[in-house]
Amino acid sequence: MRGGDVAAAEAGSPRSPDLYDLSDDSDYAAAAAASDRTVMRTDPADRGSEETARVDVVYEKERVTIHPSQYGSGRISGKLRLFLQQGSLFLSWEPNEGADSLSTSSVGVEIEKYRNLYTIKALPLSDVRFIRRYTPTFGLDYIIIVLSSGLAFPPFYFYNSGIRELFATLKQHVFIIRSDDDPNVFLVNDFQDPLQKSLSSLELPGVASVANAMSRQNSLSFTGSNDESRHGATSSMSQYSSKQKHKSNDPGRDLSIQVLEKFSLVTKFARDTTSSLFRDNSGAHAYGRQQHEYILDNKATDKHKNQYITPEKASTPSATIESDPLPLVWGKQRDHPLSVKEWAAFLDPEGRVMDSKALRKKVFYGGVDHALRKEVWKFLLGYHEYDSTYAEREYLAAMKRAEYEAVKSQWKSISATQAKRFTKFRERKGLIDKDVVRTDRSIPYYEGDDNQNVVVLRDILLTYSFYNFNLGYCQGMSDFLAPILYVMEDESESFWCFASLMERLGANFNRDQNGMHAQLLALSKLVELLDPPLHNYFRQNDCLNYFFCFRWVLIQFKREFSFDQIMLLWEVLWTHYLSEHFHLYLCVAILKKYRQRIIGEQMDFDTLLKFINELSGQINLDRAIQDAEALCTIAGENGASCIPPGTPPSMPIETDGGLYVQEDEVL
Amino acid sequence: MSYAYLFKYIIIGDTGVGKSCLLLQFTDKRFQPVHDLTIGVEFGARMITIDNKPIKLQIWDTAGQESFRSITRSYYRGAAGALLVYDITRRETFNHLASWLEDARQHANANMTVMLIGNKCDLSHRRAVSYEEGEQFAKEHGLVFMEASAKTAQNVEEAFIKTAGTIYKKIQDGIFDVSNESNGIKVGYVVPNSSGGGAGSSSQAGGCCS
Repeated sequence: MRGGDVAAAEAGSPRSPDLYDLSDDSDYAAAAAASDRTVMRTDPADRGSEETARVDVVYEKERVTIHPSQYGSGRISGKLRLFLQQGSLFLSWEPNEGADSLSTSSVGVEIEKYRNLYTIKALPLSDVRFIRRYTPTFGLDYIIIVLSSGLAFPPFYFYNSGIRELFATLKQHVFIIRSDDDPNVFLVNDFQDPLQKSLSSLELPGVASVANAMSRQNSLSFTGSNDESRHGATSSMSQYSSKQKHKSNDPGRDLSIQVLEKFSLVTKFARDTTSSLFRDNSGAHAYGRQQHEYILDNKATDKHKNQYITPEKASTPSATIESDPLPLVWGKQRDHPLSVKEWAAFLDPEGRVMDSKALRKKVFYGGVDHALRKEVWKFLLGYHEYDSTYAEREYLAAMKRAEYEAVKSQWKSISATQAKRFTKFRERKGLIDKDVVRTDRSIPYYEGDDNQNVVVLRDILLTYSFYNFNLGYCQGMSDFLAPILYVMEDESESFWCFASLMERLGANFNRDQNGMHAQLLALSKLVELLDPPLHNYFRQNDCLNYFFCFRWVLIQFKREFSFDQIMLLWEVLWTHYLSEHFHLYLCVAILKKYRQRIIGEQMDFDTLLKFINELSGQINLDRAIQDAEALCTIAGENGASCIPPGTPPSMPIETDGGLYVQEDEVL
Repeated sequence: MSYAYLFKYIIIGDTGVGKSCLLLQFTDKRFQPVHDLTIGVEFGARMITIDNKPIKLQIWDTAGQESFRSITRSYYRGAAGALLVYDITRRETFNHLASWLEDARQHANANMTVMLIGNKCDLSHRRAVSYEEGEQFAKEHGLVFMEASAKTAQNVEEAFIKTAGTIYKKIQDGIFDVSNESNGIKVGYVVPNSSGGGAGSSSQAGGCCS
């Protein structure tokens, strides 16, 4: 923080104290004093970096931070400013340059991509509809800026405080009043409504005419490629500017209804719920939710799938976007699978994967050519390190083969007489024997009597149940193993890949089902965030246990798609590219797709369960992945916060040298 | 298809006793030794006729493994009938019956009709549980009992229909309030006077089933 020059700039301000007075909030009296430290006025001469005409910076705050990803550590710290230019007030937010001390190295690259995306170069305040202030009991204060278009920027977290000063400063320059309905909502430019106006006589001398904002000074900087800008939840800011007439004194309701009517895809139910959100002071993400509705329901029209949305009219100057029309948040068009040639380019001469992040991204968007799966899956599953060399991997394979044989010999050496006295072994073996002959037998690789591959399945599962005796064997494991063995065509390598997968998903098979319950709970939170009407419906119909998604989650959609599709989906999930819990977003995406039928047909738990079961084979995989991608992007940090740490497939919180651990002690 | 009543059935019992095969034999009249093991629950349905009335059986085929019990329990709700299945060639599947029954009693409607089925009776040369034992257990717990074979279809039809007959009789006797769907019974559209009450459905009385 540059306290010194700021204080100097404002110390001699001629403004009277009442300019700071948002008299209905005592906070702001205190803020007035504090603002001395943060409000500054700078002449161009003082700031060589400002190349344009006269720019007066009236507010500046460091460490105003965006949390763009699901990684708690992934933050972009930046500088929020208000400045006057040619008589209009603008807001800017620029990320700090260079490595962000707040991001850990593992997510640094990811974060870097968002950096430019979220930059706001000069947002005219005339484009702002309102700003909502959030002051959670625990955690940082933040604001959400909602544009006239109905869209919102991601939350700005204030690490050095400064929200009060922000509002105090805003108040000096634009017409800003507190919403009648929600004291944390500050309406900007609300000239339309006499009632609102009467609530506050805050029209101030010297207020900049926000209407003067020049279109050429607009607006957001979306410097990323199309590929990247799809992440910009805020990017379609101009859709509604021309229609933005405020007839109601509830901006939230007004906006939501506009948005909903616009696409007329949301039921009355949804509308009621959405507008009720705007009166929920404690609903920390209310505006975020509205935004989700907007984007997703628009998306549901399909018409614009994967297309750019062109602003209908550019009748309002400030709505004109200089460059290309900006995309809404869609899932990206699916890419072709990683090819042999592309794969080779990822490897250095010794065989190290040079840019694992880029590899995971590529796989996330397109999957892997089948011929490469044998190699690539080992990385995705965590069996191979990305920075290992060919030689190291070869050595590892040999070592691991010996280790596998050693574990396998543990049960191989159990004699018939010993087995008689070893009930647990007999039961386990019996169960596995029964299940491997009921696993993917329609796939040629496993079909027919006396199929040797079925025997290998059995051997691996039984060996695993000794390797991880506490977890043992549970139904569903064979569903995971069958495609892995099919791809690896090698017993030991399949075993280790499977064991790696179980490091993350073993909790799905815990006897107490805690891993499943954690995921289903997280799923319910995600639906609550991303589709409140559907959540309400489930709540009212006693469906909140989400058991109807049990099979989806337990074996990661294995029974919902064909064998070929499941290999693709799994490699997409295993990249953990947008989220470790992408499968949960996939659940939300599919539920959302069918929400109209679910609600419209008033499905009860039984009917819903049957309905979901019968979706097997009916789901368009590419579409579902795209939808989930959009949801995951929109949900961002809010989505991540729905998912408690340690929820599979996150690594268990308590690990012992990376080995799966359960409490009870056997053997 | 229209029906006078819809009955919800649930099939329970240890893994590998042949629950899915019984269902398939009943709904499709075929035996499929190679099928995927059940994760969660699968559904089947078939129309039958009792007392000249079309009745739809909606059958829930559940996963048998112990780990999934907590999920399975949520499926009991609103079941009018249950088929509790064990494998006559595997003693332990018989030994676990009491715990299944306890689950059913705890989580299902008290009026649920439970049919005990000793499956795989075609494998009587490997029998590990005698017919008498099964019969005795059923008697002790007030269940209807049958041995059956999903492979040969022996008694499969009978098991499902006999259960339906018992449920139907309970309706006739006024034990079930058919207007309350939590009993696992829905009234369909066919019956002229299906206005709720105790299923008096008069006109074609007679022909019993069982």
